[in-house]
Amino acid sequence: MATSIALKTFTGLRQSSPETTVISHRPTTLTYRPLRISAGKFSPKVTGRNLRVAVIGGGPAGGAAAETLAKGGIETFLIERKMDNCKPCGGAIPLCMVGEFDLPLDIIDRRVTKMKMISPSNVAVDIGQTLKPHEYIGMVRREVLDDYLRTRASDSGASVINGLFLKMDKPVDKTAPYVLHYTKYDGKTGASGKRETLEVDAVIGADGANSRVAKSIGAGDYEYAIAFQERIKIPDEKMRYYEDLAEMYVGDDVSPDFYGWVFPKCDHVAVGTGTVTHKGDIKKFQLATRLRAKDKILGGKIIRVEAHPIPEHPRPKRLADRVALVGDAAGYVTKCSGEGIYFAAKSGRMCAEAIVEGSEKGKRMIDEGDLRKYLEKWDKAYWPTYKVLDVLQKVFYRSNPAREAFVEMCADEYVQKMTFDSYLYKKVAPGNPLEDIKLAVNTIGSLVRANALRREMDKISV
Amino acid sequence: MSMALLSSPQSHFPTVNSLSKTHLTPKPTLSLRPKRHFLLLSTRVSDNGSGVVVVEDDNKEVVEEPAAIAAVVESEEKVESSDDSLETNGSPAMAAGAPVEVLVGKYENPKWVGGTWDLKQFQKDGTTDWDAVIDAEVKRRKWLEDNPESSNNDFPVVFDTSIVPWWAWVKRFHLPEAELLNGRAAMVGFFMAYFVDSLTGVGLVDQMGNFFCKTLLFVAVAGVLLIRKNEDIDNLKKLIDETTFYDKQWQATWQDENSSSSKKDF
Repeated sequence: MATSIALKTFTGLRQSSPETTVISHRPTTLTYRPLRISAGKFSPKVTGRNLRVAVIGGGPAGGAAAETLAKGGIETFLIERKMDNCKPCGGAIPLCMVGEFDLPLDIIDRRVTKMKMISPSNVAVDIGQTLKPHEYIGMVRREVLDDYLRTRASDSGASVINGLFLKMDKPVDKTAPYVLHYTKYDGKTGASGKRETLEVDAVIGADGANSRVAKSIGAGDYEYAIAFQERIKIPDEKMRYYEDLAEMYVGDDVSPDFYGWVFPKCDHVAVGTGTVTHKGDIKKFQLATRLRAKDKILGGKIIRVEAHPIPEHPRPKRLADRVALVGDAAGYVTKCSGEGIYFAAKSGRMCAEAIVEGSEKGKRMIDEGDLRKYLEKWDKAYWPTYKVLDVLQKVFYRSNPAREAFVEMCADEYVQKMTFDSYLYKKVAPGNPLEDIKLAVNTIGSLVRANALRREMDKISV
Repeated sequence: MSMALLSSPQSHFPTVNSLSKTHLTPKPTLSLRPKRHFLLLSTRVSDNGSGVVVVEDDNKEVVEEPAAIAAVVESEEKVESSDDSLETNGSPAMAAGAPVEVLVGKYENPKWVGGTWDLKQFQKDGTTDWDAVIDAEVKRRKWLEDNPESSNNDFPVVFDTSIVPWWAWVKRFHLPEAELLNGRAAMVGFFMAYFVDSLTGVGLVDQMGNFFCKTLLFVAVAGVLLIRKNEDIDNLKKLIDETTFYDKQWQATWQDENSSSSKKDF
């Protein structure tokens, strides 16, 4: 099995090759800045006013962060450049998000309760039989969700500003404010907006995959996938098939390292694919995805074409001083499934909670240590999820035989139950050890068989 | 004889296979056309069990196919002119048969029934000929890899490789390789035992009692198992890097913090 994933040396911020990065508990001499970790408890009180925090970016991460900050008594500013932004996005949210964020059920356009996985040789497996009646994957329109979260933030006391963040001036000392420069739009279309500044004590960067906040703190780059999607309006009788069903197509023709999908939206379907390593061929992959779904979307009309970058891993630096990154800006998108909405909102909330706690509800100045607590909590809570999905991607998206084995494994009920439990509730469910062993044996068996078939295939093509 | 028959379909697809290799080179403008080419060529190619591939091509397809695709895509650029030029490349190599109905070429095989292999048609001497089932599945997958097809709800594919019993896999795939590896281990072992004996005078039975020799034995067995081709050494190194790569990316943000915070390594 040749490794088909090209390994780029990870040139992070520190420019150290992977062999020399140290495990952090060893005392290291690689510090590049003087270290000042002191608990917020010893920070000076903020007199005469509450702590001011700006949240740049009004998507799920920004909206959730702003709401939690405002509820915690912090003076919050949410800066968003396009209030009606129709983000290109899969739009799938897990069940736990509805509960955790108190989302009203009417912003969910569809409840997906069935999924179909289709292998390179068109073996189709239905999954979802293990779902209980109240369990589903919610499909939302991003503009509806984002707007709802922003409105809730402003109702809790945050000031929502329609503006485009340009740059920020770093503070001169531990208590001086950050000065943000942004272009304020006053709502009139076509107006170019005017330059304004805003002084805040801390910044949460929630401005997405091309985050300017990340650039201004020198957070470093990440590898990203290009997701390309076409929204297709299909005839009603074909739409009925996709009523509560989403499809995933895997194969080298569809994507060398990701998958192609057909997700149902409010009244149309989104057909798309993505890739990290072969971005130039994305149109070809899209054609292949359309071909594989052809019978089911025949007669459809493309109403919109969109593409967006998806981060593949967190940025080398996720915070600096009193600036923290959350959501896509930090790179919190899982591998294998490419899920980001829930993690964006959750990280926004966690970061805001850390700020509220560290500042004792806005009474004290915070410092980097308080924000580090958010990172600690985040890594501890979700690292297993990310790692498991990374392993799954490395094992099952490697090659066509691996994908065939993947689809074969999905037919197993135990796999379906574990997958959905982990996805819907965002906890890596421990499961039954005996079943786990059986699953491991079956997985290895599937992989071995598929690879054996592959070798035979190579023989007849010579 | 089946090999000769198998080689003939390959000669029908010289342009197809070479074009399929361009899929992986970043030439976005060119790559769209070969894909169309597949759709045009892959009209009724039926594969009967003996491996003979019968190709029926129809020049009418040039007009029919783009129309079918246009029904799906309305804003696609028209590449019919380039299709024509590619079609003329392909058609001399094809056996131009009778005009055929408008159907994208689908994989068809009389033994492929209801989305899976009909085991009753693979009987040999009263028992199922699993080797033939494996061969048939290999050909089907190869066909689909070169000519991806739409997945259809009316004809779902439900084949699962686990219907072929484990001993059929072992007999066909594991045993020849096991023979090879055991042979290598035996050759290395015999030579090393002789070499060590000639140098130190320690016989084979005494060698086995020595810890250093046991280590050497372990290394030899592991080497024979893991390194089967020269490229495997690099592949193994890359695999080891890969397993920890993601962890390093996540820990990067903690690199500028020293020992004050613990439990960062997950």
